[in-house]
Amino acid sequence: MPATLELLRISATTAPAPGVRTMPTITKLVDTTTCIGCKACEVACQEWNDLPPETTVQMGTYQTLPDMTANFWNLIRFREHEENGALSWLMRKDQCMHCADPGCLAACPAPGAIVQYTNGIVDFQQDQCIGCGYCMTGCPFDVPKFHVKTQRVYKCTMCVDRVSVGLQPACVKACPTSCLQFGTKDAMLEVANKRVEQLHANGFAQAAVYDPPGVGGTSVITVLAHGDRPELYGLPRDPTIPMAVRLWKGPLKWLGNLAMVGGILGVLVHYVRVGRKDHD
Amino acid sequence: MTHRLVRYDFGERLMHTLAALAYLYLLLTGLAFWTPAFYWIAVVLGGGYLSRVLHPWIGLLFAATVLWMFVVWRRDMRVTPEDRTWRRAIRHYIRNEDDKVPPAWRFNFGQKQLFWLMVFGAAALLLTGIVMWLVASIPGELSAVGQIATLLHAVAALATIAGFIIHVYMGVAVVPGGLDAVIHGEVTEEWARRHHPLWLAQVKSENDARSRE
Amino acid sequence: MASLAATFGRGAMTNGWTDIRNADVIVAMGGNPAENHPVGFRFVMEAKRNRNAKLVCVDPRFNRTAAVADRFVQIRAGTDIAFLSGLIHHALSHNRYHDEYVRLFTNAPFLVSEQYAFDEKSGVFAGWDAERHAYTDKSSWNYELDDRGFAKVDPTLEHPRSVFQVMKRFYARYTPEMVSTICGCSPDDFVKTAEIITSTYTPDRAGTMMYALGWTHHSHSVQLIHAAGMLQLLLGNIGRPGGGLNALRGHANIQGGTDCGMAYHNLPGYIPVPKADHDTLGAFLKAVTPKALRPNSTNFWSHTDGFMVSQLKAYYGAAATPKNDFAYDFHPKLAQTTEGGYENWSWAYIFDHMYRGDMEGFFSFGMNPVSNGPHSRKAIAALSKLKWLVVAENFEQETSAFWRPDILALVDSKPEDVQTEVFLLPAANFAEKDGTFVNSARWIQWKWKAVDPPGDAKPDHEIIGRVFLKVRDLYEREGGTFPDPIRHLNWWYTNAARPSLDEVCKEINGWALTDVRDAAGNIAVRAGEQLSRFLDTRADGTTLSGNWLYIGMYTSAGNLTQRRSYADPSGLGRYPEWTVSWPANRRILYNRCSADAQGRPWDPTRVGIAWNGQRWVGDMPDYTVDSPPDANLGPFIMLPEGVARLFVPGQFVDGPWSEHYEPVESPVANPLHPEHSSNPAVRPFGTQFDILGTADQFPIVCTTYRLTEHFHYWTKNNPYSVQLQPEFFVEIPEELARDKGIANRDLVRVTSARGSIEGRAMVTRRIKPMQIAGRTTYQIGFPIHWGFLGRGQQRGSLANLVTPTVVDPNSFAPEYKGFLVKLEKV
Repeated sequence: MPATLELLRISATTAPAPGVRTMPTITKLVDTTTCIGCKACEVACQEWNDLPPETTVQMGTYQTLPDMTANFWNLIRFREHEENGALSWLMRKDQCMHCADPGCLAACPAPGAIVQYTNGIVDFQQDQCIGCGYCMTGCPFDVPKFHVKTQRVYKCTMCVDRVSVGLQPACVKACPTSCLQFGTKDAMLEVANKRVEQLHANGFAQAAVYDPPGVGGTSVITVLAHGDRPELYGLPRDPTIPMAVRLWKGPLKWLGNLAMVGGILGVLVHYVRVGRKDHD
Repeated sequence: MTHRLVRYDFGERLMHTLAALAYLYLLLTGLAFWTPAFYWIAVVLGGGYLSRVLHPWIGLLFAATVLWMFVVWRRDMRVTPEDRTWRRAIRHYIRNEDDKVPPAWRFNFGQKQLFWLMVFGAAALLLTGIVMWLVASIPGELSAVGQIATLLHAVAALATIAGFIIHVYMGVAVVPGGLDAVIHGEVTEEWARRHHPLWLAQVKSENDARSRE
Repeated sequence: MASLAATFGRGAMTNGWTDIRNADVIVAMGGNPAENHPVGFRFVMEAKRNRNAKLVCVDPRFNRTAAVADRFVQIRAGTDIAFLSGLIHHALSHNRYHDEYVRLFTNAPFLVSEQYAFDEKSGVFAGWDAERHAYTDKSSWNYELDDRGFAKVDPTLEHPRSVFQVMKRFYARYTPEMVSTICGCSPDDFVKTAEIITSTYTPDRAGTMMYALGWTHHSHSVQLIHAAGMLQLLLGNIGRPGGGLNALRGHANIQGGTDCGMAYHNLPGYIPVPKADHDTLGAFLKAVTPKALRPNSTNFWSHTDGFMVSQLKAYYGAAATPKNDFAYDFHPKLAQTTEGGYENWSWAYIFDHMYRGDMEGFFSFGMNPVSNGPHSRKAIAALSKLKWLVVAENFEQETSAFWRPDILALVDSKPEDVQTEVFLLPAANFAEKDGTFVNSARWIQWKWKAVDPPGDAKPDHEIIGRVFLKVRDLYEREGGTFPDPIRHLNWWYTNAARPSLDEVCKEINGWALTDVRDAAGNIAVRAGEQLSRFLDTRADGTTLSGNWLYIGMYTSAGNLTQRRSYADPSGLGRYPEWTVSWPANRRILYNRCSADAQGRPWDPTRVGIAWNGQRWVGDMPDYTVDSPPDANLGPFIMLPEGVARLFVPGQFVDGPWSEHYEPVESPVANPLHPEHSSNPAVRPFGTQFDILGTADQFPIVCTTYRLTEHFHYWTKNNPYSVQLQPEFFVEIPEELARDKGIANRDLVRVTSARGSIEGRAMVTRRIKPMQIAGRTTYQIGFPIHWGFLGRGQQRGSLANLVTPTVVDPNSFAPEYKGFLVKLEKV
């Protein structure tokens, strides 16, 4: 597990985070154009993290579950898309994006329940989690999932236990086609951009790397053949920390605090200047 | 010994006490979730997790007491033509120039405003709170509902806090006997004449009518 | 495999998984490698990423492979030959074939017999006996021979009876329009696809084809694969890095099974099984050893005698002597039938024999016939007639539990009516025992046990060893009809009940029994030393080898199947010191074809082998290493011609080359020749279960397949796999679903003439309606992985309840792909 010196951000703290150790930002590359939807990553994730299998039903799709769950942090989304007579079957690995500017962490009221390491991993510390679900409203990707039994929230850890000892995340290790790759952000962006250039040359003029700036970029970057329409893959077009959460954690918080302090000061001043309604 | 009048019967006192305690708990735990600077309150109150678990249940209790108040007090809280003149004279009330303040019924206009603030505030807090309580079951496409609920919850809470500060200050520090009244239920005629003369008159005429029978 | 051997000489993937990364065009047809070979599929992705290779997917469904393909064409199940023939025609008519390669390395210049003919109207080759409804005379499917017995050739390819010219005329019928009529894709789609696939005809480009059970599960499967072989030969893609015709084996060790005599008609090393009328070893060898058809051809099978005698020595040890024909008499032989042929003991025939009451008992190791054979009901009825059944498995499955009331109800029977005694032996699974796997790329790889088998479960070799010792004991004590083969079986292992796999590997490779000398009289191998070359085997009984093909796997250097080195001197991913591959560690078969007449590589960036003036260097040459290019031995050393066969003289029972025949159950009559619509050489089984449906009752084309989430009927016991694909489903085109009022997730019933099966509807755009011979035709399909036992929703959804008991007449593979059904909402 990462040490104290690697803590870049800590949720709900009044003090600055102690992380001073510089580390390269790690990144997982998801190349949807070479994903075959084999789901090896789904099972690798469960097995490495010792998560129990889910009970599922056939929903008329190849997709394992409608959405991620507290026990299922890695879901391949399958979508049939047809335009101009050309059919495509889009498969995308859905998981925590590990935002540079994480909405979950911003929204979290429990000190230390969500931390961000200097290498970019956003990690939930369930022992500190109070189960309020604010992170779920703070996440623009709808990733954190509530566990009914433990009353805590869970998501992909980027296999922080593996990464911190120099291993790749379990899903990357299991991926047979190398559609998942792992390395520094610079290295992964280079691989991704090279692939995008190749896709441009092969007739996918809109191919792009999905690394949304609205959340400061993500530690999971995705190559999309239809880069102009991330929503085809179930990705938000321009994700940011939700406006409501930003208002609430920003101006409203300051206004509110000011108002409360002002109110108390106001009545104090009143008491000193005017005082009680004397009866005599 | 001046004559004492019953201002709040037992039921009213119970409901007000419950509401006050519930509100206090909600305020304190809410403040803990509101800003890390107050998180220590949650720790004192049994920990963040317990506070998170109890907050919605106490919230339901608070909403119930507010509903109770609404049922009991809504007629007394109706805004009357006298309240308009009272409102125009509010600066005299604030400066304790009570002789320049028009007479009030059982509740003056300020109290009525607090009442309605709390009624509407509690309704908003209840609705948004329920959404926040069930946030785990909101489908991804409707995530904005959860976000807006969280924001409105904070706004509503702040509004009630403003009222709450004034209310407590008035009751405890400004109006002598106010706190006593809401705890023990009785006020002196003198107190009633000074603060709620129309109510005193009404009570007196009612008492007279009763004694004539 | 029968087809690859007849076309090229060996029944295996020609190149190998790692070599696919060197391809410029990859055709996935008759297979869904992304689904079923996801790990090997990484090399497809490497080719795409690193070489910008084009992946073409031709399939009845837009499948997982199609999802990452550069081009997808939907065709009707069972019409692949028409599509491939169209490609052959496209290559020939647009001069998109590798002319020099075709002249050098194929039998295109050979002259075809004057009697050869094909009746385009009726759709049969010369030799068809209309009365007996069979090919009774195949003599015309041959070359014209000279007086020395060699085939006549015309190097100009201009002789009207040259294979090249006959072929050109034969395939001229497969125009894009005809392909469209038969397959259901548009002519334009076909031509665009053909342009990509045939783009590899130039020497600087190479293309590979990947196929699996989508080609082998037809009543014309062998001819289908031959058609692909012809196309790849025309394009000059065989024997070259990045080329090849790559059979993807579906199980970890199915290649090993085939190599080691799994099929009833082959001994280990693809030596034909002796027949009842081969009464001496000499007669047998004379019958099975081919004669060279060209003066210089290597004709490697001329060493069959050494291979066979070494194998007999492995079987019978000291009891095999020159005096007793090396105990040839001990060896089982295939009985003759009353019609003059030989008995057939391939899978579907076993169950036909069983159903007819010809069998007393049956050992089923790692098989689940009720689920995996065609027509489950016939299999259940057949098992009911046995006296005993032994199943060795790691889970209880449908076959060992066929006596359950719900399974027997399928054949209107009850447990009390069935006398079969069933033994279920708990067996270790692949991870619970040591041993070797032979993968598609012919790599013989040792694997180490990961965990101990649970409880009383035993590895197969211990089960077999212990059964053998008991049987031998009985023969010793009681005699019996013919005890010698059992009594004298060479059971030399240190631990007779559980032979050491190291000893077994040594024996499969083989050793010298006495000093073995070369032609010059020098000692080549000392007594007791492990063999390391095929040519070390001797027909005089001085060598022992269980499977000549695996010589080199365990030499005096040790067990090379455990060798692991990433060294890659070629830079092309051949890894010559990663374990050992048969034959003789060659990584690309027929690699002489990777260089031109002078021995210069066609593509200097992708060298297979090259002549350096003294010897061939590069990959281990599939050729005499020091024979100069102008000696012209022929690159296909296992064929008596020395060159690959476009025209196949006599090996197939249904024609010398590939013609489109409809599946036996087809929605249309063959547009080319309705008179012989489906393969005329197919022999139907005649029991009450072997019934076929017609298009008026069963109008929908149906196909079966596998899912990446499951392994056969096995992982339905694994909760992680079950969660990924919990329930049997039927993939239905949107348009058909609309017609039938079926919504996604509805319960639907699929019914064929054999039976019916229920499952959830998966309404999809990935299967489109097609225009076949002018009619709108629908296809549906479903995966096979469910049944009666296991986790999750089982519901008795055995895919093979609906499949027909129709088999290819060459390979005897059942027609699981492309049969007729009807569909309804439950």
